[in-house]
Amino acid sequence: MLESKAVTGPYWEQPDPEDERLAYQLEHGREEHLLLDARPPAELNQVVLNTMQQTGPRFWVIIAGLGAMTLAFLIAWFIQIISGLGITGLNRSVMWGPYIANLIYFIGIGHAGTFISAALRLMRMDFRRPIARAAETITLFGLAIAGLFPIIHVGSVWKLFYMIPIPNQRELWPNFRSALFWDMTAITTYLIGSTLFMFVALIPDFAMARDHTTGWRRKLYGALALGWRGAEDEWHRLEVVSNILSFVIIPVMFSVHTGVSWNLSMAIQPGWHSAIFGPFFVVGALYSGVAAVIIVMIIIRKTLRFGYFLREEHFNAMGIFLLLLTLAWIYFYFAEWITNWYGNLPMEKAIQQMLTGPLAPLFYLMLFCNIVVPLATLWSRRVRTSLPAMLVIGIFVQIGMYVERVLIVAGSLSRNELPFNWVNYTPHWPEVTVTIGTLAFLGLLYALFTRVVPIIPVWEVYEGQAMQQVRRIGRAIAPTRTEVH
Amino acid sequence: MAEERQQGHKWTMIVDLDKCTGCQACVVACHAENNVPSPSEDEIIRGRANHWIRIERYWEGEYPNVKARFLPVFCQQCGNAPCEPVCPVYASYHSVEENLNVQVYNRCVGTRYCGNNCPYRVRIFNFWAPHFDPPLEQQLNPDVTVRGPGVMEKCTFCIQRIRRAREQANVEGRPLEDGEVQPACVQSCPTDALIFGDKWDENSRVAKMIPHERQFKLLEHLGTEPAVYYLKGGETHVGE
Amino acid sequence: MTNFTRRDFLKVGAAGTATAILAGCSQESERWVTLEPYVRAPEEQLAGIPSWYASTCRMCPAGCGIIVRIMNGRAVKIEGNPEHPVNRGKLCARGQAGLQLLYNPDRVTGAARQEERGSRKFKAVAWNEAINTLYEKLSAAGSAIGIWLGSSTSAHLHDLFARYAEAVGAPPPVYYDLYTGLNGYRALLDANAALFGQAALPTYNVARADVIFSFGADFLGTWLSATAYGVEFGQFRDQPYGKRGLLVQFEPKMSVTGAKADRWVPIRPGAEALVAQALLRLIADEGYGGSERAERAARLAGDVDLDEAAAACEMTREELATLARLFAEAQHPLAIPGAALAGTGNGTQAVAVVQLLNIVAGMLSVPGGVQFPPEVPAGLTAPQPSSYAEVQALLERMKAGEVRALLVHGANPVYDLPPEAGVVEALQRVETIVSFNPLVDETAVLADYLLPDRVYLEGWGYTVVQPAFGGMPAVSSQQPVVGPFHDVRSTADVLLTVARGIPAAAAALPWTDEVAFIKERITALPKGAQGGEDAEVRWARFLQHGGWWPETAPGSAPPELAAQGPIGVLPTTYDGDEADYPFYLHLYPSVLLGDGRGASLPWLQSAPDPLTTVAWQTWAEINPVTAEALGLKDGDVVRVASPHGAVEVIVYEFPAIRPDTIAIPVGQGHSDSGRYARERGAHALQLVGAAADEAGANFTWANVRVKITKTERQQALARLESTIDPGPDVHVPF
Repeated sequence: MLESKAVTGPYWEQPDPEDERLAYQLEHGREEHLLLDARPPAELNQVVLNTMQQTGPRFWVIIAGLGAMTLAFLIAWFIQIISGLGITGLNRSVMWGPYIANLIYFIGIGHAGTFISAALRLMRMDFRRPIARAAETITLFGLAIAGLFPIIHVGSVWKLFYMIPIPNQRELWPNFRSALFWDMTAITTYLIGSTLFMFVALIPDFAMARDHTTGWRRKLYGALALGWRGAEDEWHRLEVVSNILSFVIIPVMFSVHTGVSWNLSMAIQPGWHSAIFGPFFVVGALYSGVAAVIIVMIIIRKTLRFGYFLREEHFNAMGIFLLLLTLAWIYFYFAEWITNWYGNLPMEKAIQQMLTGPLAPLFYLMLFCNIVVPLATLWSRRVRTSLPAMLVIGIFVQIGMYVERVLIVAGSLSRNELPFNWVNYTPHWPEVTVTIGTLAFLGLLYALFTRVVPIIPVWEVYEGQAMQQVRRIGRAIAPTRTEVH
Repeated sequence: MAEERQQGHKWTMIVDLDKCTGCQACVVACHAENNVPSPSEDEIIRGRANHWIRIERYWEGEYPNVKARFLPVFCQQCGNAPCEPVCPVYASYHSVEENLNVQVYNRCVGTRYCGNNCPYRVRIFNFWAPHFDPPLEQQLNPDVTVRGPGVMEKCTFCIQRIRRAREQANVEGRPLEDGEVQPACVQSCPTDALIFGDKWDENSRVAKMIPHERQFKLLEHLGTEPAVYYLKGGETHVGE
Repeated sequence: MTNFTRRDFLKVGAAGTATAILAGCSQESERWVTLEPYVRAPEEQLAGIPSWYASTCRMCPAGCGIIVRIMNGRAVKIEGNPEHPVNRGKLCARGQAGLQLLYNPDRVTGAARQEERGSRKFKAVAWNEAINTLYEKLSAAGSAIGIWLGSSTSAHLHDLFARYAEAVGAPPPVYYDLYTGLNGYRALLDANAALFGQAALPTYNVARADVIFSFGADFLGTWLSATAYGVEFGQFRDQPYGKRGLLVQFEPKMSVTGAKADRWVPIRPGAEALVAQALLRLIADEGYGGSERAERAARLAGDVDLDEAAAACEMTREELATLARLFAEAQHPLAIPGAALAGTGNGTQAVAVVQLLNIVAGMLSVPGGVQFPPEVPAGLTAPQPSSYAEVQALLERMKAGEVRALLVHGANPVYDLPPEAGVVEALQRVETIVSFNPLVDETAVLADYLLPDRVYLEGWGYTVVQPAFGGMPAVSSQQPVVGPFHDVRSTADVLLTVARGIPAAAAALPWTDEVAFIKERITALPKGAQGGEDAEVRWARFLQHGGWWPETAPGSAPPELAAQGPIGVLPTTYDGDEADYPFYLHLYPSVLLGDGRGASLPWLQSAPDPLTTVAWQTWAEINPVTAEALGLKDGDVVRVASPHGAVEVIVYEFPAIRPDTIAIPVGQGHSDSGRYARERGAHALQLVGAAADEAGANFTWANVRVKITKTERQQALARLESTIDPGPDVHVPF
C-alpha cells in the first residue's frame, strides 16, 4: 500500500494551516482515491465516533433555530386545522398548491438516497461507499416529511383514517381505483423498504459504535446492533440481504415517483394529462435528489470535517451524475413541452401562457436554475470539485426543481377547460410557513440524527479499501479491485 | 361506461342557452334550497365563490357587434365521471338508483382530487366552516345537511327532492310522473331555460326533446358523458 | 273542482290551517295568528313534512304569487305559485331572497324610540306606549301629516292610509321610491294617459311577438316585472312551429335584455325618442309594411333628421332603414319604451313616441301586442305611484314646517332621492318622524320612532296586480306564512287602533283589524277561477290559491287614441358641459339589488351580477377603448364626478358599452340598512340632480354628464369570472 502524501497524524485534529496551498490540499482531501488511502480501521472508527460525540455550541444554536422554525410549522398546521384551509391561498380552481408541490419535492429529494445506495451498489460503483448513508438519511427523512404533506393537505384530517384499508363492519374500503391510494401505498412501501435497507447496512456500524461507547449509547447501539459479532457468516448474510434489498428497492423507488406523477397525469387536467409524466418525474426526482445529496455532502464535510471520507473524487462523480441527470431532465421536460405545443389542443396551449403570462417569471427562473446553471458549469472538473460552486449549483437545482413542481401543480390548475374559471394562485402565510418549516424540520431531524447514527458507513469504506490493490504498470499506479464474490 | 338503460332513473337536465338570461334566480334558489353559505367579498376576490350553479358569461366579438353568452354550469352528473375514480375513500361515487354523482360529505377527507379532476370546476371545497349570521340559520332546509369544513360539495340535482318525490310515489304505489321532481334551479327559472326529467322515461319532456338539433354537451370531447344537454343559442341576423 | 287530488287536498288543508289558527284572541294582531309549541302541533303539521302556503312577493311591486315551504314552523323556501297569472310558478332571485328579510339579523325587533335623530341609539318601547305616543302625535298634528309609502307597502295599507289622510283632511299619501323612479312608472303612466286616456301600465305580449324593438327596456332584468317577462321571453324564443322571435335592443350599455337580443344597438343616451321618430319617418317615407301601416306612420311621423338618428345608433342610414322595414313588415312587431326614457327630462314624450310605433303597427289589444289592463271588480285598484311633482310638494310642505308628523312605510326617501332633493333638510323640519320599516334604513336613522311592520311573510295584505299579464286582472293574496318572528306589529293594525281615538278618522276606519278590512274587500269580488259560492269559501280559496283572478281573461277593446298627429319631443339636454364632463352617465338598477332594497340580503349581495359577475361592490362600466385612453384598467378606483356630486367606484372594463358612456349600477352605497348593506360601494344617485322633468313625472337621472379622474387606490373586483385574459388562442368551449 502506498504511503500517504499528507502530514502524519489525524489531520482533523490539526488547525487549518496558514499556507493557502496546503489548506486547499487539506480541504480537497488527497488527490488520491479514498479507497487507496487506507487508514487503520480504529482510526476510521474514531473519526466517525468523534463527530457523533463532540457537539459544540454552534450546533445547538442551529438546532434551536431549526427547532423554532419547526415549531412555527407545527403552529401553522394547528391553526390551519382549527380554522380550515381557508387561510391558505387555495381557491376554487387551484385546489392543490404548494402542499402537493412539497410532497413531490420531498419525495424527490428522498429519491437519490436509495438510488445511490442500491443502484450504485448493484453496479459496483465504489464512489458511493462514503456517501451512501448520508444519502439514505435524506431518503428516510425526506419521505417521512413527504408523508406528512398529504395529512397537512387534506381538508378533514380527522377523517384521514378512511384512506387506510382497515377492516370494518360496514365493509367500507378505500377506493382501489384512486391513484392517490396507490401513491400512499407506494410511499409507505418505499418508506418501510428504505428504512429496512438503511438499517441493514447500519448494523455493523451500530456494532462498531456499541464497542466503542459507554453509557446510554452503548445500550442503544447494543440493542440496534442486534448482537452483531462480525462473524463471516454474518457478513455473508449482510451481503446477501443488502443485494436482495437493493434489487427490491429500486422498482419501489420507481413506483413511488411514478405513483406521485400519476396523481397528476391520471387526471384530465390540461398540463397534467401526459404519458411521459412517470419517467419525467423519476428523472426529476433523481435530479433534485442528487443535488440535495451534494448539498448535504458539502455541509457534513464542512461541519463534521469529513475531508477524509468525502473527497474530490466523490464530488466529481456526483457532479458528472448531476450533469447526466440535467440532460435527462431537459430531454423529458421538452419532450412533454413539444408534444403539447405540437398537439396544439386549445387548453394545453393555455398552459403555454407560461411563456408570457403572470407565471412567466417563475417559468424562466426554473429554466435558468435547471438548465442554464448546471449546463454552463458542470462540464468543468474544476467546478465539480469546488465545494462552494457545487453548493451554489445544488441550491439552484433545488430552487429550480421546486419551482417546476409548483408550476406543474398550481400553475397547471390555474388554467383549465373553461376559461371563465381561471384563477391565479398566490401563496398565503400558512403555505410559506409550512414549506419553510418542513425544510427546517428535515434539517433538524438530520442534524439530530448525525448525533446518534454514524453518518459514514465505516465498514463499507473499510471494505472498499480492503478490496483495493494497487499495481504498478510501468510508472503508473493503477488501482484494481478484488472481486470477493 | 356506455349509456345503457338500466334500472332506476337517468335524471337529465336540458339547458336552453337561447333562453337563459343570466338572471341568477337559479343561483339564489340553489343557495336557499341547499344551504350553501354566501361567499363574502374577500372570498370572491380570492377566487372562492362557492355557488353550486354559476352562470358563466363569455364575450364574443368586438364593440359594437359584441355579444354576451350565458352558460349556466353546475355538476354535469357525468355518466363517466372523472371525479369518481380518483377519490381515495369513495366519497364521490355513482348512485345506482338515480344515476347521479353523489358526494358523501361525512366520508370525504378533503383531498380535493375530485375538484382538480373536474373539467367543469363545479366541485366546491368548504374552505371554512359554514357560517350563517343568526337568525339566518332559521332558514336552513332541514332536508339538506349543512356541510362542515374541509369537505367537497356540489350540485346534487336536488336529490332530496328526488327522494321525497319517489317516496311519495312509492307510498301511493305509482311510478314517478314527469315533472314531479324539479330541482330548485329548474323550479325558479323564469324563461324555462332549464328542463329536468328522467331520460329513461320515454314520455318525459327531456326524452322527447333529445335529440335536439341545437344540442351539445359541454366539453364533450373529454368523454365524461354528462347528463346535462345544452341547446346552443339561436341566431337570427338582422340589418347586417 | 273536478279533479280533486291529494295535492289539492293538502293545499286546502294548508289554507285551512291558516284560517284555523285565526281563531280568536284578544289582541288585534294576535287574534289571527298564534304561535303554538310543537308539542301541541296542529294535526296536519308533522315534523319533517313540509306545508306550503300561498302568498304574494313584496320584494318589488310586480305582485308575483309565491308559495312558501314551511318546515316545523320555519319558512325555508320561497317558490313561485304555479297557478298565479303573473309569474306562473317562477320566481326571480330577489323573490327567493325574501326569506333573508324575514330572518335578517338586523331587523328591528320591536317598537323603539330614538332620543336624538341620527344617533342610532334606539331604546325599546312597549308597543302600547308606542301606539299611545303615535296616537298623541297624530291627533295633535291633525291634517299636518305626511304619509310616504313605497313599493313594499301592501295595497290594503295604502288604501287605509289614503282613507286616513282623507278623513283628517291631509293630502293623499305619497307613493314614491327609487324603484318606481328608476322604473319610470309615472312617465309610463302619464304617457299612456296622454295617448290612450288610461293611466295604466300596459303589458307587452312578448310571448307572441315576432319582432321586438326594445328602447332601453331591461324587461328581463329589472323592468316592472322581470319574472313575468322572463316567462314570456321563454315562450318568445320557442314559439309554435319553431318560430323564434327576434329582439332588437336599443340601449347605451348592454343589459341582461341586451345580452339576449339578436341585435344590440348602442344608442346614444337620450336619443331613443329620436330613433323611434326616425323609424316612424322611414316607415312613412318608404311605405314599409303595407299601405295601412305606412299611412298611419305618415299621419304620426314628425320631421326628423335621419342621419342624426342613424349616427346616434352608430349605424348608417341604410341600416336604420333595414331596421324600420324589419319592424314594419313583421306580423307582430312590438316596441317597448323602457325605464331609461323616463329619466331624460322629456320622458313622457319619449315614451309616447315609442308607443306610436305600436299604434302604427296596429298592435294594440291584439295577441303579440300591447295589452291594456282590464279593471278589477269591486273597486280594487292598484295604488298609482306619485309623480315627482307630488313628492316635491310634500317636501316643500315639510320644509315649510307644515308637516308635524311624517309616517314612512316601505320607502326610504333619504336613499331614494338625490341629495339635492333636500330630503334630509326637509326631515329636520318635521316634528315627529315614524318609520314602519323592518330595517333601520337611512330614513329610519333620522326617525324618532320605529314601529316595525311585519315583513310580508308574517303579515296580511293583497296586491292588485299591475301591470296585469295576459290581460288577466288579478288580486294577489298575502297571508302570514309564519308567526311573527319578532315583537313586531302590523302597521295597518296600529293605524286602525290609532284612528279609533281620532274622531275624524274613527268613522272612516271602522274595522277592528286589518284582516276584517281585507276580508271585506276581497269577499266583495265575484267568483273567480278559484270558485266558491259562499263568501267564506271564496275567502279561504283566495288565501289558499294565492289570490283572485277570473277563469279566463276578459277581452278588452283597443283604447281610443288621443294622439292623432306627430308628438313633439323636446331635445334631450344634459347636465354638465361636454368639455368638462365628456361622458354620458347611464344609471341602472342592479339586477340583484334592485333599487337598493336587496343590499341588506346576503344572497343577493353575494350573487354575481349577470354581465359583470361582480358581487358586493359598486363598479363603473367603461368601454376598454375609453379605459385605455384614460389609462385605466380593471380594479382602478376612479372618481366619477358630475355637476351634482361625485362617487368613487371601481373600474370594470366592459366591452358592451358605448365609449362615450359610463354606466354605474344603483343599489349599493347605503350608510345604514343593516350589516350587509352598510358602508359598501357607492350610491350613484349622488351624481344626479333633483330637477323634475318637463312633465313633473320624475326627477331627471338619465341626462347627466360626468368626468372621470383616476385615484391612487386599487381595489380588486369581487368577480366570479376569471381575471386572466385567456388570449386569442383559447376559444370559448361552446
